[in-house]
Amino acid sequence: MHLKVNDESLEVAVDAERTLLSVLRHELGLMGTKYGCGEGNCGACTVLIDGEATRSCITPVTSAGGREITTIEGLANGDELHPVQEAFVEHTAFQCAYCTSGFIMSSAALLDRNPSPSDAQIQSALSGHICRCGAYGRILKAVKSASGEGGAE
Amino acid sequence: MSPHESPHEVALTVIGTPRWSLEPDPRTPPGDPATLLTINDDGVITAFSGKVEYGQGIRNGFAMAIADELDVAVDSVRMILGDTNLVPQDRGTTGSASTRTVGIQLRRAAATARLTLIDLAATRLEVGASSLKTLAGRVVSEDGSHCVEYADLLSGQMLSVNIPDLVEVKAVDEFQLMGRPARRIDAISRVTGGARYAQDVVVPGMLYGKILRPPSYGAKLVQVDTARAEQVSGVVSVVKDGDFVGVVADREDAAEYAVEAIRARWDENRDTVSDWNIPALLKERAEEPTTLREDGDLSSAFFSAARVFENTYYVPYVSNAQMEPSASVAQWDDNHLTVWCAHRGPFAERDNLAAIFGLDTSAVRVITAEIGGSFGTKTPTVSHEAARLAKAVNAPVRVSYDRAEEFGWSTVRPAATFEVKSAVDAGGKIVAWDYTAFHAGENAFRGQRGADTPYDVDNVRIAVAASESPLQSGSYRSLGGATNHFAREVHMDEIAIGLGLDPLEFRLRNLSHARLRACLVAASKTFGWASREKKPGVGFGLAIGYDAGSFTAQCVEVLVENREARVIRVMVGFDCGLVVNPDGARNQIEGSIVMGMGTALWEAVEFDGGRVLNAGFARYRVPRITDTPEIEVVFTGDDDMPSSGAGEPGIVPIAAAIANAVRDATGTAIEELPIVPRL
Repeated sequence: MHLKVNDESLEVAVDAERTLLSVLRHELGLMGTKYGCGEGNCGACTVLIDGEATRSCITPVTSAGGREITTIEGLANGDELHPVQEAFVEHTAFQCAYCTSGFIMSSAALLDRNPSPSDAQIQSALSGHICRCGAYGRILKAVKSASGEGGAE
Repeated sequence: MSPHESPHEVALTVIGTPRWSLEPDPRTPPGDPATLLTINDDGVITAFSGKVEYGQGIRNGFAMAIADELDVAVDSVRMILGDTNLVPQDRGTTGSASTRTVGIQLRRAAATARLTLIDLAATRLEVGASSLKTLAGRVVSEDGSHCVEYADLLSGQMLSVNIPDLVEVKAVDEFQLMGRPARRIDAISRVTGGARYAQDVVVPGMLYGKILRPPSYGAKLVQVDTARAEQVSGVVSVVKDGDFVGVVADREDAAEYAVEAIRARWDENRDTVSDWNIPALLKERAEEPTTLREDGDLSSAFFSAARVFENTYYVPYVSNAQMEPSASVAQWDDNHLTVWCAHRGPFAERDNLAAIFGLDTSAVRVITAEIGGSFGTKTPTVSHEAARLAKAVNAPVRVSYDRAEEFGWSTVRPAATFEVKSAVDAGGKIVAWDYTAFHAGENAFRGQRGADTPYDVDNVRIAVAASESPLQSGSYRSLGGATNHFAREVHMDEIAIGLGLDPLEFRLRNLSHARLRACLVAASKTFGWASREKKPGVGFGLAIGYDAGSFTAQCVEVLVENREARVIRVMVGFDCGLVVNPDGARNQIEGSIVMGMGTALWEAVEFDGGRVLNAGFARYRVPRITDTPEIEVVFTGDDDMPSSGAGEPGIVPIAAAIANAVRDATGTAIEELPIVPRL
């Protein structure tokens, strides 16, 4: 089938029942997207499909066919980090960072449709993600600073 | 990357004996001398440690310390961590001890290298070493007339030096990097998806393994039919060895599918212990308690006391539930085994695997990948399982746990029941303290941490008993420290309220420990404890704690609505001596508080017999971003005190502080976790 990942068009021969996560990690070697729970409860596997934050662990690969898929590896513009990535570095908004790709993808999608979200809107957009190291306060600050609201900070 | 892959040659090697304690410990033999630090002829510094990175930022902490001692930029230091073939022997990354033990030895190694560079420069420049100093990767003379780069000095050299017995490390006021906030050196790889965890390790020819799990702990395999599994496309082999049944396939989902296709009959353990009857069973099924301390005369103190208080407390099993489920890749080359895993004690894992397979330890290499959280566990059996399958199919195999396996087959923090009996005199001074803890799990020492009281009391008995555990008890952040503190600090409020005293005043009246007092005073001042305003549904609580050589106090505000408690803010006084990286330490303390908040309000492993009933995040509630309180940390430690732990102590008082705050809001005492607010 045909997949468009990080601006690249790819032909992959895979079983229809496989998840997008499995294909990204095992067929395409894109290891930045993580398996956390396999049930859509933790957010570690989040990618963008046509700009929408999507849990790849419960998304059949067939439903992503022909659509624009963006993973953490495709978020930066060459060496230039996405503002959300930059802000996560600046605020050390991670510890082990296993959940970080997912948080960054959802935050990028949020800022794309709402450049100046309130704290409550950020929290709501990220409430489906788990950071077991508990870096939530920093994540909130990072997303805030990457937004129109926090840009002046 | 090994230093040998670098196009540049190692020019200077610093050798030392690994240390496991601050001072040489006569009870434990020193390890073999090993390479702790090298500098290549291009000036690149590589340091070696058996510690591992599971998010606590130890790579960064070590690199900062070394860079500071050597007067170089932090990004010119590379850390090789947790590869048993490359790094010095180590006892594992536990007890918040890395900075205070290995950190100091690496600083001594770096200081030795710095002195060697100065000697090289003195010889080259034909001046006295005392007229030279180091600055920004160069040796320069005090008067500024000479300047030579480390790379120049090392070009063509092949030196090896031992750390002398006495080598002076820098004093606090000489630090350029330590003690200041800094970006982590691994930050970029962590935000771009580049960091490689055990779940991500792929080696050429690697296959995927999946293990058939029993329905409950202690179940014995009676009958198994793997015929359908063998037919699944992609399956390479179904491995059967007694109760151990696993599938190896060329794709992970094929292995998962095939395991589902195995038909098995099990003989399950008939024990009826469950999460609702275990609080009492822990005492009934306990061994004889070990007395850790016995001072004074308890019975006459209780007899003559003004008031006596007696309560029983309980904490349930909780799951570490770190974000990365356990994974391991095993590869056999003849009789040599290489394992890539997320074990926090790579040498212990190497020795364990060597013993299991009857190999010399030199035939096993354990390489630790990035670790996606640990908090004490990563399933201890995953590398063994991968190695068994890899041996059976004669190819490298990765075993990756799914979330249900992680909840069901990883270790859990032991449940515990506590009996506390105390007495006070008419002046509100504690005169007797009788404390017995019953911790699930065969290793009673796990429950000893934090069992002793830091308060002033002359008549005291502290006893800890190990009790039979229906689940697999294992390590956790601060382990017994967090649970023992819950019982003690909740009981302290029980007494204060019984006496009509302010919980802060009551604690200060019974606490002469200077460092703890300083934490308590700082936390309560920042919090505004004295001027707190009582409002409906709002409660205030505090607790103190000690762990891993550090001290802390926490003041909490909660809001109770609709029988749910919400933590609004937490003010923390924290003393871990010298703070190497304040931002890193804050990150750890904040994380400890968020994690401890989960144990206070929601987390408990539900089980019936040996079956775990809530093996998924949908039924095991953990803190989310919408739960996050405002957290402020005030460091009260003295820079001249050696660094002590920062990764764990933050968790020890938080559950009690929240429980005390909920009691303040509702008027109902909290005696077990997770807290159910009752108005």
